[in-house]
Amino acid sequence: MKMFIQLVIMGLALGSIYSLIAMGYSLIYKASGLMTFVQGDILTIGAFLGLTFYRFLKLPYIVSVLLTMAVAFVIGFLLEKGVIRKLLNKNVMAIYIVLATIAVSYIFQNGAQAIWSSKVEYFPTVFKTDSISILGVGVQPESLLCVGASLLCMVLLHIFMTKTRVGTSMRAAAMDPMAAESCGINVSMNTGITWGLSAGIAAVAGIFIGPMYGVYVTLGAKIGTKGFAGAVMGGYGNMYGAMVGGLILGLVETFVAGYISSDFKNMFAYIILIVFLFVKPTGIFNEQAIQDV
Amino acid sequence: MLKTDGVTIRFGGLVAVNKVSIHVRKGQITGLIGPNGAGKTTFFNCISGVYKPSEGHVIFDGKNVEGLRPHKINEIGMARTYQVINLFRKMTVQENIMVGMHTRLKSNFWSDMLHLPNQRKEEKFVREETEKWMEFVGLQDMANQQAGSLSYGKQRLLEIVRGLASDPKLILLDEPVAGMNSKEKEEFDALLRRILDLDVTILMIEHDMKLVMGVCDYVYCLEHGTLLAEGVPEVVQNHPDVIAAYLGGDE
Amino acid sequence: MKNNLKSMKLIKCLIAVVIALLVPAALGGSSYLCLIASFVTIYIIGASGLDVLFGYSGQISMGHAAFYAIGGYGAGLMSKYLGIPLFISMFLAAAIAAVIGALLAFPASKLKFHFLSLATIAFGEIVYQMACHSPNKITGDFNGFFSSKLSIFGLKLDTNIKFYFFGVACVVVFLLVKQMIVKSRTGRAFVAIRENTQAAEGMGVNVRKYKIIAFAISAFFVAFAGSMYLGLVGYLHPDMYLQKQSVLFVTMMLFGGSASLAGPVIGAISIEIILEGLRTFEEYQMLIYGILLLVVIVAMPGGIVGAARDIKAGFLRRKAKKQAGKEVQ
Repeated sequence: MKMFIQLVIMGLALGSIYSLIAMGYSLIYKASGLMTFVQGDILTIGAFLGLTFYRFLKLPYIVSVLLTMAVAFVIGFLLEKGVIRKLLNKNVMAIYIVLATIAVSYIFQNGAQAIWSSKVEYFPTVFKTDSISILGVGVQPESLLCVGASLLCMVLLHIFMTKTRVGTSMRAAAMDPMAAESCGINVSMNTGITWGLSAGIAAVAGIFIGPMYGVYVTLGAKIGTKGFAGAVMGGYGNMYGAMVGGLILGLVETFVAGYISSDFKNMFAYIILIVFLFVKPTGIFNEQAIQDV
Repeated sequence: MLKTDGVTIRFGGLVAVNKVSIHVRKGQITGLIGPNGAGKTTFFNCISGVYKPSEGHVIFDGKNVEGLRPHKINEIGMARTYQVINLFRKMTVQENIMVGMHTRLKSNFWSDMLHLPNQRKEEKFVREETEKWMEFVGLQDMANQQAGSLSYGKQRLLEIVRGLASDPKLILLDEPVAGMNSKEKEEFDALLRRILDLDVTILMIEHDMKLVMGVCDYVYCLEHGTLLAEGVPEVVQNHPDVIAAYLGGDE
Repeated sequence: MKNNLKSMKLIKCLIAVVIALLVPAALGGSSYLCLIASFVTIYIIGASGLDVLFGYSGQISMGHAAFYAIGGYGAGLMSKYLGIPLFISMFLAAAIAAVIGALLAFPASKLKFHFLSLATIAFGEIVYQMACHSPNKITGDFNGFFSSKLSIFGLKLDTNIKFYFFGVACVVVFLLVKQMIVKSRTGRAFVAIRENTQAAEGMGVNVRKYKIIAFAISAFFVAFAGSMYLGLVGYLHPDMYLQKQSVLFVTMMLFGGSASLAGPVIGAISIEIILEGLRTFEEYQMLIYGILLLVVIVAMPGGIVGAARDIKAGFLRRKAKKQAGKEVQ
């Protein structure tokens, strides 16, 4: 029982990271019909940025989080404007856009190594206590923070998308770019913001996961690829589906590692991805936005 | 040649085609008219295997063919063109027609890979046939041009011969003269006659009433997915419901 | 005129082969450089295999490292545990990869671009994980897999120069096969599917069948390349089959230009040279490579062959204009 509770909490913590990444994928797909392969590496960059602000510059935790988010937002926005939009304007085959995002991911990975370090850096704990007790089980408080903060991010994002003007116009632009354009919405600006937002949430995911896994150059690469499994499971393009899919993926992976063998946890994630694509590509929530299937 | 029997197509709750029964007779040109959105193309897609009818039967050459995949439908002798031109844009004119002959060829993967003697013989036959088809519509000078670079009217012609190259018994033409210039349009009746001479029956969706009245032996009129009228062109043209439908459509 | 063009092409190909055969001499017989040249022959086959899939039939695979691994490990395991000579097991492994490719393509053929790339990524990762955590550690897991080097019916390819000539022979055979397939009914069906799947189906092309065939051919090519690697180096490690390897095949194909004979060849040669050249920058290798890649993608999305075609077309247009101008005068 003790192990079970521990696994649930660990699974939820990891799952919430997958959820954040998967949400980024879904937002971008909804807004521009594209897939990006840099989310994972933006997570890495985010973790390193957080490390810089919090450990090296000794800024308060919350300030570090906000600063990281802001920087990542700018990176995402510029990525869309500087690379993706340029390629779209040239009307290139979709493969080139995929390859461009992969090239950017190489640059980020190697760039992070050049700027920060090639070793595993430790991320200082946020709380004074090492462990708190839930139902008699000791839990690292950072993993609870991870779950809580991710949920908060999702709620905030939901409010932003449904209750604010910018969010509403973003949803409109995603649904029908032409119509939105004729209503005076700046569609190009909106896709830029979407890429920025996705980068922002990926980066905070990096800060949340830092204290649990340490910070290193390839931290995000695996998470980024597995995040696709979460996004597909929930229905690619569905923001809320991505949350659920990510959490399920985190739980499955942790339980496989806990009860079977940690050798198979990665394989399980990819088996889930491929099975969903073959059997139910529209995901649990039967996302209809997938014109591509 | 082709009969449909109470064909109904539903998308969700929406009825796109409602109990349509038509009969296309061998060696004739049958027309299918109706205002935009009447369900004509949906009906075509159903005959050619893109959709499976929710109810009813499609009988081609005495056999039930509803629910067969489009490539099977083509194989048993029914070719088609599309309302929105669907050529292989980056292939040459010649190659487009070659693909049209796909079902008539017997080479398989292994003979293709090794270019065995019978495959070579067949390829020679393909080139000669293609030549013939290009001449049929006057595209022989454009053999090596990319299909996407042709004028709209030429693309329509190419799409028709690509269909004919499969040696069909019946060809479905979906708005064949849309996008043609006036000269091409004028020559089109003659082309239709020449297709009939090849022993190919024609079923055609067309908006150009002058053409329909001039060449069709029998006409069906569809509105809101339902058959409104049928008969020889003059009868359909003067049918009060048809006139109302067209005038209504113009409002 | 057509025959003229054909024989021109044939002559060009022959010249290319002659140049290829002279490469070791030009490299001064350096064993290391001949090793690199041998890698190039392997990559040419790999990138050309991917070209059959993507360039011609229009299906993407971001997981071809999986077939590369199946070829390498498959050939190695069969020769180690079943005692089949490596040269024979190379073909067997490639055939097995083709069957696996076909089985993968069966459900994957209904997925379009983005989702197909995800499915192939997942497939690539699954095979990678299997190489890392194999039953009874038959692949050697993270210790790597050792095998004897290749010998063909008693002829030992124990130096890199000898292997290079074998590599060139393989390239000639595989490219010939590729050309034969592409210039046939099967090849036309591939391109038709790429250009317009709906119309291809309407013209009687069994789209699913041909998509599966393309996948199988492509898997065969790449797996054979993988088994060549084993024959050359005699050692495999799971980390050779990370997603990066799949991306490398895609990059080589696109860099040279897809849907052509020369494209993947040029791509494989230039990318291998670039990566070798960047080795001196050690820790910044991937950074520079990434930037270079990005610049190339933005600047010439048709690859080298595409760019050359554009330049040639522009030149002809200008020439035609000049001529037209003269006639008016």
